[in-house]
Amino acid sequence: MAEVLRTLRLYGRLQRAAARGALQYRLNLLIGVVTGVVYQGSGFAFVWVVMHTFPSMGGWSLREVAFLYGLRLTAHALYVLPFSSLIGLEWLVREGELDRVLLRPLNPLVQIMAKRLGVGQVGDLLAGVVLLVIAVPPLNPGMILFCLAAVVGGALVEAAVSLALASLSLRALNTLALRAFADDLFSKFGSYPMGVFGGAARWALTFVLPVAFVAYVPASVLLDRTGELIVPAPVACGSPLLGVALFALAYRVWRRQLRHYQSTGS
Amino acid sequence: MIRVESLTKVFRRPRAFSGPLGPLRTLVTRRYDERTAVDGVSFEIPEGEIVGYLGPNGAGKSTTVKMLTGILTPTDGLIEVGGRVPWRDREANARAVGVVFGQRSQLWWDLPLIDSLRLVGDLYDVPAARFTGSLRRMCDLLGLDDFLHTPVRQLSLGQRMRGDLAAAMLYDPPILYLDEPTVGLDVMAKQAVREFIAETNRIGRTTVVLTTHDLADVEALCRRIILIDKGRVLFDGGIDDLVTAYAPPRRLVVELADDETRAFEIAAGSSIPELIARVSAEHTIRDLSIHEPDLESVIKRIYAESER
Ligand SMILES: Nc1ncnc2c1ncn2[C@@H]1O[C@H](COP(=O)(O)OP(=O)(O)OP(=O)(O)O)[C@@H](O)[C@H]1O
Ligand SMILES: [Mg+2]
Repeated sequence: MAEVLRTLRLYGRLQRAAARGALQYRLNLLIGVVTGVVYQGSGFAFVWVVMHTFPSMGGWSLREVAFLYGLRLTAHALYVLPFSSLIGLEWLVREGELDRVLLRPLNPLVQIMAKRLGVGQVGDLLAGVVLLVIAVPPLNPGMILFCLAAVVGGALVEAAVSLALASLSLRALNTLALRAFADDLFSKFGSYPMGVFGGAARWALTFVLPVAFVAYVPASVLLDRTGELIVPAPVACGSPLLGVALFALAYRVWRRQLRHYQSTGS
Repeated sequence: MIRVESLTKVFRRPRAFSGPLGPLRTLVTRRYDERTAVDGVSFEIPEGEIVGYLGPNGAGKSTTVKMLTGILTPTDGLIEVGGRVPWRDREANARAVGVVFGQRSQLWWDLPLIDSLRLVGDLYDVPAARFTGSLRRMCDLLGLDDFLHTPVRQLSLGQRMRGDLAAAMLYDPPILYLDEPTVGLDVMAKQAVREFIAETNRIGRTTVVLTTHDLADVEALCRRIILIDKGRVLFDGGIDDLVTAYAPPRRLVVELADDETRAFEIAAGSSIPELIARVSAEHTIRDLSIHEPDLESVIKRIYAESER
């Protein structure tokens, strides 16, 4: 417990130091803020588009699709917000930054996470939450809890895939394109009712890359549509736990790959 | 304090395939380029010793240091630092060692030096009162006061290196690894670094492993050196032993009347006056001197022999 508190405290200190460092580059920060605002704007524009022009999809009503989209967007933003520096892992390896991290008596992943906060994601997060609130079906307290767990679980599913693939970068493999590819699959196919895809694609998006579990499966539970899923209803109800399990697994992969870390020749 | 046995590191660089799925293909095909950087190195370093870890470029010095810190996992062999295996017990090991990589700063580039030192204090759980005392001592020893509030990226190389040394010793680790701590420094800055190392070792009995290409560092600080090349130990022992064992012959250097300089080897046990007489019989000598072999010529000779 004391160790967890120490880790959280140090995470906070390092994150604040990173922010102070970023403040040194005011122009960059300004660009970041402007980008954030544009992001936010485009997020809201999307809400508008979804609410006004989308036809119903795969038997889902417009409102249901909006809810699904909001769930996926919120989960995604929730994953990127703390893990944004993982995206630059190759760079951290090449610059010897990871050597520095490994010299310190603090969990390496926590140190990497503390290098940056994905503030650009705040726009996505807001847009996602607004969509969720607008499109949410009537839920009882238990379902509200499930909804919150689903958002966190979805974020963990995406984080798990990203972390497991990033781990390979420690072996001097360049996984940037691979991770961008996986991210693309998540954002392209994660926000729509899977019924619109063919059998094979649907199967792959559920069991090979667990895209369906980020939002589609939990949304089906919340919208009382578990009948159309290709996984049994109890599994669907446990989908937030799947995120936790996958992330735990990915973390083990990460620890293992850290042993194979190659560093850089000066 | 430090025990290393048959330590070996083979770097495996994957053959890259193109395309987003390339990394997965590499994993499946398991095609790697291998390079042995450290090849069966053994040594032991007792507490309180300063050892010069020397070798030409690419000898495997930095790789050894990275294994001693736990950054890299050895491919084979044993390491024990203060009873711990660094790669297995990396965080505990980190608390016991200070590290300076001369080529690469450990400090927060965009923040004032003092902020970096504070963060280091936090990371190593240094209590506030002890931190203040340590900081005061570092400032006195290294003269940090002038640039304590300057962002690290604006520091000169010498100032930055002093900042790095302070960061490495702030939490009083019993072991200090220095990988080229004087690289690129001017004479005065080098002197400051050397004095700091000597002082740290004298007061705290800090064990120091020092990697450098400047033999003046070694002469000023180390009694023992470990010489490696191509990942293997060529020599391990006292500097004096090294010089006696490998010293090339002394040389008689004469400057002749026609501005020509010639050097004659003085064979062991031969008479110098006789040699001078023989030379002056053939030439007109304007000036002469006897060159004692220095550490540099000794080490050059060992490197040259290991190249063959
Ligand atoms: N991360 C790495 N991946 C692959 N090869 C490496 C890596 N680091 C070092 N090497 C190789 O291992 C060998 C030893 O390198 P190392 O950096 O340990 O040498 P060194 O003795 O520190 O040299 P220098 O005096 O130039 O700093 C070199 O051939 C180098 O190219
Ligand atoms: Mg080196």
